[in-house]
Amino acid sequence: MAKSVLVVDDEPNIMLSLEYLMKRAGYDVRLARDGEEALASVIASPPDLVLLDINIPKRNGYEVCQAIRANPELKNVRILMVTAKGREVEIEKGLALGADGYATKPFSTKELAERVAKLLNGADA
Amino acid sequence: MNERLSLRVRFFLFFALIAVAVPFLLGGGLWLAAQRLEGNPTPHLLLFGGAAGFALIGVVVGVWQLFDQNVARPIQTIVRDLQTLLHANPQHEVDTTSGRYLGLLAPVVREIADAFANARADVDKEVTQATHSLNEQRQQLEAILRELNEGVIVCNSSHRILLYNRRALQILGVTEGMGLGRPLFSILNEQPFVLTLDRLTSRYLEGRHETHPDRLMTGLVFARNDGSLILEGRMSLIVDDADHEITGYVLTFDDVTSELKELIKSDRLMRSTLEELRHPVASLRAAVEMLDDMPADDADARRAFQKVLAEESQRLSSELERFGEEYRAIVTSQWPMSDVHSGNLLNALTRQFRNDDSILCDVTGEPIWLRCDSTTVVALLSHIIRRALIELDAQTFLVSARTGTSRSYIEVTWEGDVASPSMMERWLKEPIERGLGLTGVEILEHHKSEAWCEPAGGGKARVRIPVPPPASQHTATTSTAPLPIRLEFYDFNLLKPAQLGAVADTSLRDLTYVVFDTETTGLEPSNGDEIIQIAGVRILNGRILTGEAFDQLVDPGRRVPPLATRITGISQEMVAGKPRIDDVLPRFHDYVGESVLVAHNAAFDMKFLQLKQERCNLRFDNPVLDTVLLSAIVHDHTNQHTLDAVAERFSIEIPPETRHTALGDSLATAGVLLKLIELLEVHGIRTLGEAIEASNKIVEIRRRQAKY
Repeated sequence: MAKSVLVVDDEPNIMLSLEYLMKRAGYDVRLARDGEEALASVIASPPDLVLLDINIPKRNGYEVCQAIRANPELKNVRILMVTAKGREVEIEKGLALGADGYATKPFSTKELAERVAKLLNGADA
Repeated sequence: MNERLSLRVRFFLFFALIAVAVPFLLGGGLWLAAQRLEGNPTPHLLLFGGAAGFALIGVVVGVWQLFDQNVARPIQTIVRDLQTLLHANPQHEVDTTSGRYLGLLAPVVREIADAFANARADVDKEVTQATHSLNEQRQQLEAILRELNEGVIVCNSSHRILLYNRRALQILGVTEGMGLGRPLFSILNEQPFVLTLDRLTSRYLEGRHETHPDRLMTGLVFARNDGSLILEGRMSLIVDDADHEITGYVLTFDDVTSELKELIKSDRLMRSTLEELRHPVASLRAAVEMLDDMPADDADARRAFQKVLAEESQRLSSELERFGEEYRAIVTSQWPMSDVHSGNLLNALTRQFRNDDSILCDVTGEPIWLRCDSTTVVALLSHIIRRALIELDAQTFLVSARTGTSRSYIEVTWEGDVASPSMMERWLKEPIERGLGLTGVEILEHHKSEAWCEPAGGGKARVRIPVPPPASQHTATTSTAPLPIRLEFYDFNLLKPAQLGAVADTSLRDLTYVVFDTETTGLEPSNGDEIIQIAGVRILNGRILTGEAFDQLVDPGRRVPPLATRITGISQEMVAGKPRIDDVLPRFHDYVGESVLVAHNAAFDMKFLQLKQERCNLRFDNPVLDTVLLSAIVHDHTNQHTLDAVAERFSIEIPPETRHTALGDSLATAGVLLKLIELLEVHGIRTLGEAIEASNKIVEIRRRQAKY
C-alpha cells in the first residue's frame, strides 16, 4: 500500500508543487490549509508523514506538532517541518516540540523528496 | 561700670579727685599747725592757706585741660580712626596731628595703619583675581554644559535641582516643572532616585567605593512622572570628603527610546523580509524544478506551474520594493539626527562667513524647528554658497527655513543666475569641507532628501533642501522662543542644606518667588472677564531667572474686546487656537510650585486665578506679596504706586513694547520686588511674616481711609 503524506500550507502555489512532487514519488497526498484542518485530517486518518508549515492560520505549526505528539495513537506519524523561519532557535524549538526534521524555504525539491523518503523508510532525516 | 566711661571722663574724674583732695589735705595740715602755734594765727593761715589752695586747684584744672586737649582727646580720635579703618574703610586716614604729646605713639599708629591698609589692598586684589578666574571657570562650565549632548541635572541630597542644561530640558520635554531649587520629583518618578541614592550612599559610607570599579557612580533607568518617557542615565555622588558627607549628585542621561526603537524596527524588518522572501522563492524554485522534470505532454500541469512562476516573481519584486523602502527609512534615521532650531542652525552657517568680505550672508524669516544632522547640513549649505560665489559670481545670500505641509525646507537665496541641474549635481558629488568626508549626495541621502535650484523671481535663484519635520512637538511659546544666550541654569548656593522650618520666619532674601502678571479681557472676573495671557518669572537667591520664564497666551473662549486689545496688544486672532485656561492653569500651578507669589496689585490677579482654580482641581495657597502694598510701606510720602511710577522711582526701565505684556510687566515687577526687599530691611522688615503683617496694616489703613 502506498504511503500517505499530508501537506499543510496556506500558500496554494507551494502546495501545487509539493502535491505534484509527492504524487510523482508515488505517495497518497492529502492537503490541509490551516492548523485545525490539518489536525482533523490527521485524527480522521493518520498519515505516514506530515509536511508541516509553521506559519499557518488558526493553529500554528508548533501547536499542530505538539498535539500530534501528545496523542500516543499518532506516534508513528512522521513530521517534517517546512518553514520560512530560518533561525537556529526556531529549528531547535520545532525539533523540541516533536518534529522529525526541518526544512527551510526555499528548498531543493529533490532533497526534500529524499528526506521524505528516508523518514518514511524509518531512517533518520 | 568704669569701662563704660570714656577715656576723657576718666581723666577728668582723676584730676577732679586731686582738686577735691587739695582743700582737705591743705585745710587739715593748717588746722593741725594752728593747734600748735601760739597766739592767734588762724586768720593768717586761712588767708594764705586758702590762697595756696585755690592756686593749687587752679593748677590742677590747668594741667587737666592741657592733658585733655593733648592726650585724652587725641587718643580717642586715634581709637575712632582705627575702628573706622578696621571695620569700614581701609583707605581712611589716621589723624595724628593733634597727638604731639603722645611721643612716638602717633607715628607708630600711622605706620600700623598704612601696613594694615596695604595688607587689605593685597587681599582685595587677590580676592578680585580669584573671583575673576572663578567667573572664567564658571563661564567655561556653562559653555560645556550648554553644548553637551547629554542631559545633565545636578541635585542636592534632598533631590532639589541645582543645575541643569539645555539638553536636559529638551530630552525631558519640560518647561514648567524644571527650575532651580525645585524638587526633581515634580518631573521625574521618585523611586529609582531614592533607591539608587540609598545604594550609593551606603557604598560610600561603608567605604566600598574605594574598590568598586564604578566608584561613586551607577546606572539607573527612570521615567517621567506621567510615564511618557523612559530614560537611561547614570548617577554620580558629590561628596564632601572632609565631612564624610553626601552633598548631592550628578545625573547624566540620554533619550535612548528613539535609538532603541530604530534598532528594533530594523531588526524586525530584516526578519520579516527574510521570511517574506522565502515564500515566493520557495514557490518559484519548487515550481521550476517541477517544470524541469515534467513530461512534455502534460500541458495542463505546465500551464498551472507557469502561472505560479508569474505570480511569485511578481510577489518577489514587490516584496523587494517594500524592503528597499523600509530599509531606506531606517538607514536615514540611524544617522544621528536631532530636532534643531533653525535659528541656531542658520546662525552657525552665517558665522562661517563673518570674516569673509567677499560673501554677505544673512538669516531671514521666522525661525522654525526641523529635524536634521546640523553639522553636515551646515557644511552642505556652506559648500553650496561657496560654489555659487565662485561659479555664479553671487555675493549676497539669504538663508531661511520654512514649514511645508509634510516637510520643512531650508532655503538659500542669492542674487544671480540659477544653478542648472547638472551644475548642482556636480556640486553635490564633490566631497565637502568639514562634511565628515561625505559628499552632498550622501548627506542628502541621510536626510532622505534631494536638493534643487529654482528661479526665485527678480533675478534671484534659490536652492531648496527639504528636511524632515521635528520629531517632537515644540509648540509651547516658552520653548519655540530662542532661549537667551545666558540662562540661569544653576545655583550652587542650594548645595547648602535647605532652610526649612516656618516660611514666615524665612528672610525675604532667601525666598523663592514667582512674580507673575495676567492680561485679561477686562476688570471684572465675576462678570465674565477672562485671562488672555499669563506670564511669570522666578526669583531665586536674589536673581531673576529670565531663562525660566512662563509665558502663555490663553484662548478666553469669548471675544477679546477692542479696549483690551488696545491696552494689551493681544487680538482675537492671537488667542485663537491657543490653549484654554483649563490647560494653562495646571501648567502654571506646576511652574509656581512652592514659591511665594508676587504681583503688582496681586489681589486682582489672584481673583482671576482663584475663580478658575476649582474647575482645574487646584489650589493656589502659596503666600502672596503685593508690590503695591510693599511700595506703600517704604514710600509712604506718596500715593503714586502704579507699576510705571514705582519702576521709575527705582530707575527700572520697562521697554515700551513690553509694557502691558504679561511677561514684560512680570519682569518689571520682579525688578521692583528686589529693590523693595532692600528698602524693607531699612524699615526693619526682614522676614516674609513681617512683610505680610506690614502689608496687612497698609490694607487696614487704606480701608479706614476709604471710609472717610
